[in-house]
Amino acid sequence: MDRNQITKWLKAPAKMANKYSLHAIYFCTGCGIIEVPPVITARWDAERFGVIPVATPRQANLFLITGYVSVKTLRAIIRTYEQMPEPKYTVGFGSCPINGGMYWDSYNTIKHLDKYIPIDGWIAGCMPRPEAIFIAVTHLWTLIDKEMANGYMRYKKNYKSYRRNQEMLLGKLEWPPLYPVSDEPRGNEQ
Amino acid sequence: MVAKITHIILSPILALVVGVFFSGLARKITARIHWRYGPPLIQPVIDMIKLFYQKGVSHGAMFDLGLIFSLAGSIVVVLFLPFGRIAPLSNSGGLLVILYIMLFAPLGMALSGGEGANPNISIGISRKLILSLGYEVPLLLILLTVMTRYRTISIMEVVNAQQSTNWSIISFPLFLSGLSYFLILPAILGLRPFDVSSAPQEISSGPMAEYGGKYLALATIEHAFVLFISIALFVNLFLGGATNPIIFFVKMLVVFVLGLFIHAVFPRFRIEQAIKYLWKWPTLLAFLGLIMTLVIRS
Amino acid sequence: MNKSLREKLESTFKDIRVTVLEENRIAVTAESHGVLAVLRFLKDAGFDHLALLSAVDWIEDNCFELCFILTCYMQSDDEVTGRQRLHIILKTKIPRGKPQFETITRIFPNAEPYEREIYELFGIKFEGHKRLTPLFLERNYDIPPFRKDFDTRKYVEEVFDKIPFVESKDK
Repeated sequence: MDRNQITKWLKAPAKMANKYSLHAIYFCTGCGIIEVPPVITARWDAERFGVIPVATPRQANLFLITGYVSVKTLRAIIRTYEQMPEPKYTVGFGSCPINGGMYWDSYNTIKHLDKYIPIDGWIAGCMPRPEAIFIAVTHLWTLIDKEMANGYMRYKKNYKSYRRNQEMLLGKLEWPPLYPVSDEPRGNEQ
Repeated sequence: MVAKITHIILSPILALVVGVFFSGLARKITARIHWRYGPPLIQPVIDMIKLFYQKGVSHGAMFDLGLIFSLAGSIVVVLFLPFGRIAPLSNSGGLLVILYIMLFAPLGMALSGGEGANPNISIGISRKLILSLGYEVPLLLILLTVMTRYRTISIMEVVNAQQSTNWSIISFPLFLSGLSYFLILPAILGLRPFDVSSAPQEISSGPMAEYGGKYLALATIEHAFVLFISIALFVNLFLGGATNPIIFFVKMLVVFVLGLFIHAVFPRFRIEQAIKYLWKWPTLLAFLGLIMTLVIRS
Repeated sequence: MNKSLREKLESTFKDIRVTVLEENRIAVTAESHGVLAVLRFLKDAGFDHLALLSAVDWIEDNCFELCFILTCYMQSDDEVTGRQRLHIILKTKIPRGKPQFETITRIFPNAEPYEREIYELFGIKFEGHKRLTPLFLERNYDIPPFRKDFDTRKYVEEVFDKIPFVESKDK
């Protein structure tokens, strides 16, 4: 089994520890959160995977964005995401963050969440079953092994574009930029 | 001399190992009581390794120093507690020093929490300090009783006295104090029904709300030490201590598992309900034990 | 039960029409200037719970229709009287070109969030309401979103699809 391979632990302890101890922040974003309590209680036990919910973003590793994202919720999601310590992983849960899902022509929901915060993986379904969450967790382990789950690095690299998208949608933001955005005159946006 | 230095280095390391093992055991046994499988036993170690690789956010100098202060206090208390034969400083000071330095843990957290700019931290710290006020009253009475009965303040002499006669918990006036200590043990450990100070659902983890990365790892280590200290004190004073670290560990395991059975099924008290409970029956029993010990002595 | 209430209503008010939809459901249609009197009468008759206040957009008839649903509170868990099983749906039409109405918070104080919601989503102004501030939405729309002539697809293309992706889709 993968866990008992001591050589892997000795070679890359950071990757192994990040994989097997994913602390998910318990932020009920949308309607998909109804599928999470069965996952973390006795029937489908997520604690044997190392996934446990925590109450504050400062202690969290994994952000599960469940269900549709309205414009008001997007503010809270961006603030929560920026408070989490690195390395952090985000998973879009349900079909609404992928392309709008059932609310594809709604006046108040976000159609593509990828434009505002970086996403490492998606889980399709409306709602996905708890077994789909476990498949996603193991898939995230493989991505962490291959070092492809680097959403937080993309956020740092393209922070100007993300911030510009957030401001285009939400207007003026109350929180200062997380990484330094160089001062350009506003007419230079492409 | 060399033995003493080895013991001084070995004692906190052993306490850490035992404390971390108990945290892992807590999650596993709680999960099995809930009819699920639970994480592997080394899950706290995996968590700590991950936390040391995370880049937490610091809020200032006092944020770091308060945490180190509370951790230092816990390590010093460990040096005064005998663990089988490993007892580096237990012949000097003893119970009085432990009583004093045991309070460094919540005070250190209060200092560091004051720097974190989160109101949840203040609520959690106030609840933690009120709870420690609640269990300090019966704890003081119990320790006074033990000191009066054995006429000493050194824990090693208490342990040796119990080795020759029988355990304190079944000897006549002290069984009341032992019962009272067992009733307040969940409050000292921070287990349910007394984990109101770090309630994740109400105040987003209370004092640990702003800890991330290595600060959370240090806080977890500090919780492991507090776990060790409280149970080791109980075993030394009332269950006879041990001449062997292995028997000592077995006794600690029995006490901890009994406390876990209560932790796994109970909801939590509110803070005023907790204080009402702590100042009612445990205080009464401890007081009765003290009176009877004084009567017997005279 | 329905019969006596129906006779009382028809005898008290002139331009009102009562139809019985099902066994425990009555629809009362009134003119927009007489709605408050009917509401006060029904509240005195025992129907003191405003369950819902909502609006319908009849774009072909060029009017809005406000619906008030009134019920009775249950007094005990054991027995439910015939009156307590009754739902009264009070409907009234207001013109679409001038969408305003009088607030009913003086009679039913719990109608305050319902009226805010209808003002935000339909654009019907309630006069006398203490604060008609937005309840759910935080943007300004030139046509209120629940009206039938609000084109959702066009709005989505204007606001949401214009925002570009950050990097290419293939990772």
